[in-house]
Amino acid sequence: MSRGADQNDMLPRTQHALKFDLVAKCATTKARAATLHLPHGPVQLPMFMPVATQASLKGLTPKQLEETSCRLCLNNTYHLGLKPGQATLDTIGGAHKLQSWPHNILTDSGGFQMVSLLKLAQVTEEGVRFLSPHDGTPMLLTPEHSISLQNSIGSDIIMQLDDVIATTSPDHARILEAMHRSVRWLDRCIAAHKKPESQNLFCIIQGGLDLELRRECTRQMVARDTPGIAIGGLSGGEAKVEYCKVVKTCTDLLPDGKPRYVMGVGYPEDILVSVALGADMFDCVWPTRTARFGNAITNVGVLNLKNASYACDFRPVDEGCKCMCCRPTSEGGLGITRAYIHHTAAKETAGAHLLSIHNVHYLLILMRQVRDAITEQRYPAFLRAYFYKLYAGEKHKYPQWAVDALAGVNVDLLAES
Amino acid sequence: MFTVIKSASTGIGPRLGRLALPGKKVVHTPHYLGITSRGVIPHITQDTFARDASITGVYVGLEDFIERAPYQTPPLYQFKPPKDSSPLRRFIALPEDTLLVLGARRAPPVAAPAANPNTNETVSVCTAVGFRVLRADDYAEAAERLQADIVVGLGDIPYGRKLGNKRIEKATERNIKWTQDHINLRHSAETRAQQAKLFAPLLPVSSAKQRFYIETLIQVSERDVAGLAVYALDSLEDLPEALQPLPRLGFTTPSAPQDVLQHIVLGIDVLTVPFINAATDAGIALSFQFPSTSCDQSHNGSDPLPLGIDMWSPAHAVDLGPLVDGCTCYACANHHRAYIQHLLAAKEMLGWVLLQLHNHHVTDIFFAHIRASIANGTFTDDVEHFQRKYESRLPEKTGQGPRVRGYQFKAEGPGEPKKNKAPFTMLDDGQEKIVESAPPEAGTDASELEAQGFAAKA
Repeated sequence: MSRGADQNDMLPRTQHALKFDLVAKCATTKARAATLHLPHGPVQLPMFMPVATQASLKGLTPKQLEETSCRLCLNNTYHLGLKPGQATLDTIGGAHKLQSWPHNILTDSGGFQMVSLLKLAQVTEEGVRFLSPHDGTPMLLTPEHSISLQNSIGSDIIMQLDDVIATTSPDHARILEAMHRSVRWLDRCIAAHKKPESQNLFCIIQGGLDLELRRECTRQMVARDTPGIAIGGLSGGEAKVEYCKVVKTCTDLLPDGKPRYVMGVGYPEDILVSVALGADMFDCVWPTRTARFGNAITNVGVLNLKNASYACDFRPVDEGCKCMCCRPTSEGGLGITRAYIHHTAAKETAGAHLLSIHNVHYLLILMRQVRDAITEQRYPAFLRAYFYKLYAGEKHKYPQWAVDALAGVNVDLLAES
Repeated sequence: MFTVIKSASTGIGPRLGRLALPGKKVVHTPHYLGITSRGVIPHITQDTFARDASITGVYVGLEDFIERAPYQTPPLYQFKPPKDSSPLRRFIALPEDTLLVLGARRAPPVAAPAANPNTNETVSVCTAVGFRVLRADDYAEAAERLQADIVVGLGDIPYGRKLGNKRIEKATERNIKWTQDHINLRHSAETRAQQAKLFAPLLPVSSAKQRFYIETLIQVSERDVAGLAVYALDSLEDLPEALQPLPRLGFTTPSAPQDVLQHIVLGIDVLTVPFINAATDAGIALSFQFPSTSCDQSHNGSDPLPLGIDMWSPAHAVDLGPLVDGCTCYACANHHRAYIQHLLAAKEMLGWVLLQLHNHHVTDIFFAHIRASIANGTFTDDVEHFQRKYESRLPEKTGQGPRVRGYQFKAEGPGEPKKNKAPFTMLDDGQEKIVESAPPEAGTDASELEAQGFAAKA
């Protein structure tokens, strides 16, 4: 298809290395189903992206990750910049080659880690100053350096360096400054980006919890016509009500023809509500991290399999789940029991790997179900059924923020299905 | 069950055999068993084991499963899988055709702290919650019920300690009693189609010194005792001819491939090889081959080659080659040295997964070549050549391995330094927790918040 004909709602495109096909829009909510064609193959939206921080998804081989149906995973620029380092990445030929991953990779800019992991990180107009976690020497990460690193990594989607501050910060002047600075840094990132034909640079909308700032930032970012748009600075401990308002405010102003990525969101309920508010892409370390603590994600909530009550529970981790770990041997799976996970959790690394396989698979399949529900115009009913099962029918336990946020997109979560 | 295909001309020596159990992969001997910990080959999930490794048989120590005994019935004993399949095999999700060998203790076990840890009825075992006693009759009953393919009978084995003459006498008595009781239990049990083969444990002394026990073993039929478990090579030196047709399973803890060769020379058929796991955890990719290929003629007279490659070394950082040229293991076929070096340096668990697959593959090939060499009749020469060609020890480890667990080592006493370095300082740790935790509720106690790092200043 020729450019422009199928994307007439979009601004004229410069060089973009992706194609976004909107497949369906929910008639009730703002949810969308789409296919995103990326340099390393198509992915189905909405989607969850597991986080392989240091070019490896916590003990899983690329083959196992592929088997969970994952076709796009995250790497972290900050971590890869430290190890193995840019020179090594250049010599090897990028992160796909480093980890033998034939599918897509998204890298964040490293800005979030600067603020979340480092002591004494200081943000100035030129970039983020921080002390090297190796030897304590002062270092500087600029938008240009972040893009250069991500060009070396060769990820299919790269993120701008943004000025990240906690949404809960009371300093309004600082939030305003961060918002404007993020826009200025986006311009520097676009100018520094050497491979727009093979890597898609996404902007990141900032502005804290101030909806007017978010609107202003959205307008400015959209005008810069990046191939995709991220909503950043959330998932930092703000109230869910505020979170939903920000997502809805931003998506209201975003063009239909571009993917929308809400960074750092991974709880099933948060994802389901965010999809209804018009978001398409999510990432979070939670499914794999919580697996290492022995927690299994299921339709009836999170089970801590380290608890003694599971020592003799010989049911699969999640009944009916089709992942390699839960599927019975008669269907070619391993038939792993909760008791066995209890037996190995926090004692053998393989126990954590098994649970990571399950948790990642759970979220990926959940997203596929979400997508089917949207294309078949039954997303509101899907939401009601999911919450009903999760809370065992006890509607008074539904989180109020979810009920309210969904009411804002015409779904009565408490209604009978 | 076990057929000797080619044996040494006189007495005990290297031999070729075939260990075939119904429905299981045939184990051509000499061969080795993969050593499991809590039911898995460390780091290798069961799907990867089935798809990307080719390990013919595994050894499982019962002590990994019985931390609740005797006060509570261990979960494994309560597990009743459908269709009469083996509870142990189903619990650890081992493929149907992999040979499953069960013994009481891990290989190698952690030595008990007490000088005389065993009694007339019990042995000391190390569980995840510390040392416990395991009754001989409980063990026999559990071992039969769990339906492994091979069960190593309980022996009064003094791991790591020398036995005095008095003590040998006592140990002989215990072994006779425990073995006899186990056999009686098997006779009384309703006939199972698939009864495990019982391997009798030899004491780690010469056959002459445990004469009465050996005589007992000669008297029982092959249905009762189908093989021998060997804890010291001394026991084989004067093994009576009547017991020689039995397969010999070695718990002789070889610490290098040269030891493996020597143990085969002295007559072991199936070995447990702890240095595979140890090399993996140390970040070492095994790189030896047997017998030497033609190109090694150039090594005559030159320095011996290392047995493994220290993958922590930054020298591999941009090396896109496989761990070992021409290796077809999952790690070498799909990844390169640079990635594995990166994974180790970044302390990513996948590094150990890949090394473990590679190291087991190298060992598979090593044993295949040993069998070929025995078949060709060149084994003695090949062993000699191997000893000249390679260094006698595995390389020293330079990097840090995975976290060590309590059931993997013996505490040295008070004042011992920490085995595992704390991965984070409190400050960073606390911050990470905050990132993923929900905001504290208004009613939360402030001191609790402080304890979880909420009040830490960045």
